[in-house]
Amino acid sequence: MAETTSTTEPNDVALRASIDRSLRHPVMFFFTSGAVWLALAIVLGLIASAKKHFPELLDCLSFVDAGRVDAAHLSALIYGWGVQAAFGMIIWLMARLSRKECSNAGTILAVGHLWNLFVMIGVLSIMAGKGSGIAYMEFPIFIWPLLIFCYLAITIWSLVQFQVRDAGHVYVSQWYLLAGLLWFPWLAVSAFLFVFVFEGHPLMATAIASWFKGSLFFLFFLPTALASAYYLAPKVTGRPVYSYNLALFGFWALACLGPWAGMQKLVGAPIPQFLPYMGAAAMVLILIPAISVGLNILKTVYGRQEIVAESPSLRFTSSGIVLFVAYGFLSFFLHTVPAMKMTQFSYSGYGLDILGLYGVFSLCAFGAIYFIVPRITGREWLSRRFISWHFFFSLYGVASIVICAVVGGITQGQGIEDVSQPFATMASRASQYGWGVTIAWAFLLFANLFFCLHLLLMWARLGRRSSHPTLLKGHHAESPHGPEGEIDNIGSASA
Amino acid sequence: MTFKAFIFGLLASFGFPWLVAVVIPFSKMRSLEPVRYEEGSKLSGVFIPKRDGRITEGSKVYGQEGCYHCHTQLIRPSYAGNDVFRDEWAGLRKTADHADTRRETLAMDFEGEKVAHIGLSRVGPDLSNFGRRLEENLKGTDMSPEDWTYQHLYNPRGLKNYRVGSQDLAERSSCPAKRGLFKVVDSSGAGGGLLPIEIEEGKGLRPTDRARQLVSYLISLKKDTLGQPLPEVLNRNPQASTVEE
Repeated sequence: MAETTSTTEPNDVALRASIDRSLRHPVMFFFTSGAVWLALAIVLGLIASAKKHFPELLDCLSFVDAGRVDAAHLSALIYGWGVQAAFGMIIWLMARLSRKECSNAGTILAVGHLWNLFVMIGVLSIMAGKGSGIAYMEFPIFIWPLLIFCYLAITIWSLVQFQVRDAGHVYVSQWYLLAGLLWFPWLAVSAFLFVFVFEGHPLMATAIASWFKGSLFFLFFLPTALASAYYLAPKVTGRPVYSYNLALFGFWALACLGPWAGMQKLVGAPIPQFLPYMGAAAMVLILIPAISVGLNILKTVYGRQEIVAESPSLRFTSSGIVLFVAYGFLSFFLHTVPAMKMTQFSYSGYGLDILGLYGVFSLCAFGAIYFIVPRITGREWLSRRFISWHFFFSLYGVASIVICAVVGGITQGQGIEDVSQPFATMASRASQYGWGVTIAWAFLLFANLFFCLHLLLMWARLGRRSSHPTLLKGHHAESPHGPEGEIDNIGSASA
Repeated sequence: MTFKAFIFGLLASFGFPWLVAVVIPFSKMRSLEPVRYEEGSKLSGVFIPKRDGRITEGSKVYGQEGCYHCHTQLIRPSYAGNDVFRDEWAGLRKTADHADTRRETLAMDFEGEKVAHIGLSRVGPDLSNFGRRLEENLKGTDMSPEDWTYQHLYNPRGLKNYRVGSQDLAERSSCPAKRGLFKVVDSSGAGGGLLPIEIEEGKGLRPTDRARQLVSYLISLKKDTLGQPLPEVLNRNPQASTVEE
C-alpha cells in the first residue's frame, strides 16, 4: 500500500526523474500562478473583511465595493489558487503513482494558461458588477462551461495514465485522486445546468449553488489534499500507512457523506425540509471521516516526530490533517440543531470555510509543493527561514481567522436570536471580531508573500544546487526524506 | 475490492444523493401546486404574493452588487429561529390600524427572480420586509421611500431620521456606500431627475439605471400579509387574521 523508499534501483530513479522532467512546466506553472492568485485573494479578503467594520475604506472605488469584493475574494481563492494547486498535485501524484511519464505537458500548459485567463475574466467581471449574482457561483454564466472544458482538458490525461499503468497495486492516494477526478465534472456540470440553464424554482437555484459549494470542498479539495497526505506521510517517514482498513473506512465515509453537504444554509427556507437537515447531518457526521483519516495519517507519522519537525512537507501536511480533525469537531458543533439557529446566518460559516480551504486544503497543498518543486526543478529550496515563517504565520493566521469568525459568529447569532436586544447593538458587538479577522488576513498575507517569492525564485531556477533537501532544523547526515528523498537526479541519488 | 466495484461505489455514493437531493427536488419545486383561497373567505382564486417594481432586473443587480453577503431575505419559521419576533422583520405588529401582518417566507415570495437571495450572513438586518418597514417609518415625514433608499445607498451614515425603535442608526450603520450606482453631474442645465442629496456647490447626483432597478426592487420587498391575507392552509400564525378586517 505505502510506497516504500527502499527501492532505489537505478531504473527506478531514472523513471522518477523522467516523470518529473516531463511534468516540470505544467506543474510549476500551476503552483506559481496559484500562489500569485493566493496572494491576490488574500489582499481581497483583507479588504472585504476590513469593510465589514470600517465601511468607509476605499468607498470611492466601486470595483472593490463590499459585496463585490467578498465574491471576488472567494472566487479567486477557490478557482485561482485552490483548483490550480489541486491541478498541480493531481497530475504529479497520478503520474508518479501510475509510474507513467506525461506526454501531454504542452496541452496541459496551454490549457492552464486559458484557465488563468478565464478565472481572471471571471474575477474582473465580478468586480465590475457583471457577475451572475448567485452566491457561491458568482462567475458570469459563460465562464462556467469554459472552466469545465479546461478542467477536462487538464485532468483527462491523468485518468489515461491510470488506465495504462502497469498492473499493480492501487494506492490509497489513487482512490482519492480518481474519486475527485470523477466527481468534479459531474458536480460542476449538474450545478451549471440546474442553476443557470434549466428553468426552475429560484429557491432550488440557491439550494443547488450551496450544494455545489459544499460538495466542491468535500469531493474535490478534500480528496486532493488527502491523496497528497496519504502519499507524503508514508513516503517521508518511510513507513507504511498505519491501517489499510481504516483508510478504506475513512474514504467511503467521506464518499457517502460529502455529496449531502451544502444545503444546510437553507434551514427554514420553504424547500423540502429534509434537504437542509440532511446537509446539516452530513456536516455533523463529517467528524467520522475526519477522525479516521486523522488517526490513520497521524499514527503513520507517530513516533517520527523529529521528521515532522524537520521536513517542511510533512510539517505542513501533518498540520493540515490535524486541522481536518479540528474541522470535523467544529463542524459537528456548529451544525447541531440548536446551534444552527445561531450559526446559519453568521460569520461562523465563513470561519469554517476558511478552515477547510486554507487550514486543511492549502496546508496540505503547501506540503505537497515543498515536496514536489525541488524534484521537478532539480533545485532545493533557498531558505529554511522563509519556509519556517510561511508555516508559523500561516498557522497563526488561519487559527486567528477561524477563532475570531466562529466566536464572533456565535456572538452575532446569539444577538440576533435574542429579540430583546436591538439589532444594532448586536451588530456593533459582532463587528469587534471583524477586526481580529482583518488582522489575521494580514498575517496570512505576510506568510504568503514569503511563499510566493520563494516559489518564484525556484521557478526562475535560482534554487540551491544541492543534493541535500532543505530541512527546518540543522543538517543531518541522513536525509529524513530517505535515500530517494534527495533530488532525483540519477547521479546524486546514490546515498 | 475490485476496480469495477470501486468505480461502481464512486458512482453510487454520489449518484444517490445527486438524485435525491438535487434532481428530484428540482423537478418537484418546478411545478408547485398553486394554493387557492378557501371557499367563503373574502378573496378567491390562487394566492400569488403581489409585488410592484422591477423585480427581475432589480434582483439581478442585488446579486451582482453582492448585497446577499450581509443581508438575508428569509423569515424562518420559529422552529429554526426567532426571526418572526424581531421588530418589523416579518411584518407589522397589531395596531389600531391593522392586524398582525407578520408571516414566514413562502416559496411564492421569490416569483420573478432568477435566484432566491437567501443570504449568507446577517451583518445587516433581514430585508424580507424592507419596503414595508420603510413605508411605516416614513409615515408623517415628507420623504419618499425611493429618496430614502437612494440616500441610504449613496451615504448610509448621512441620513437623518434613520431610527429603528429607540436607536438612531445614522452614525452606526456599517453598510458601505454604493457610490458606483450614482453619477455626479453639473446641476446647471442638468434638467430634472437629480436626487435631493447635497454634495457640493453646483453639482447634483443622478442615479444610474442599475440604481433605479435596485431601489425599485428593494422597496418592493413587502413579504407580509398587509393587504394580502394568506389562505388558511399556509397560515402558521393562528393569531394573525387571514381575512382583511
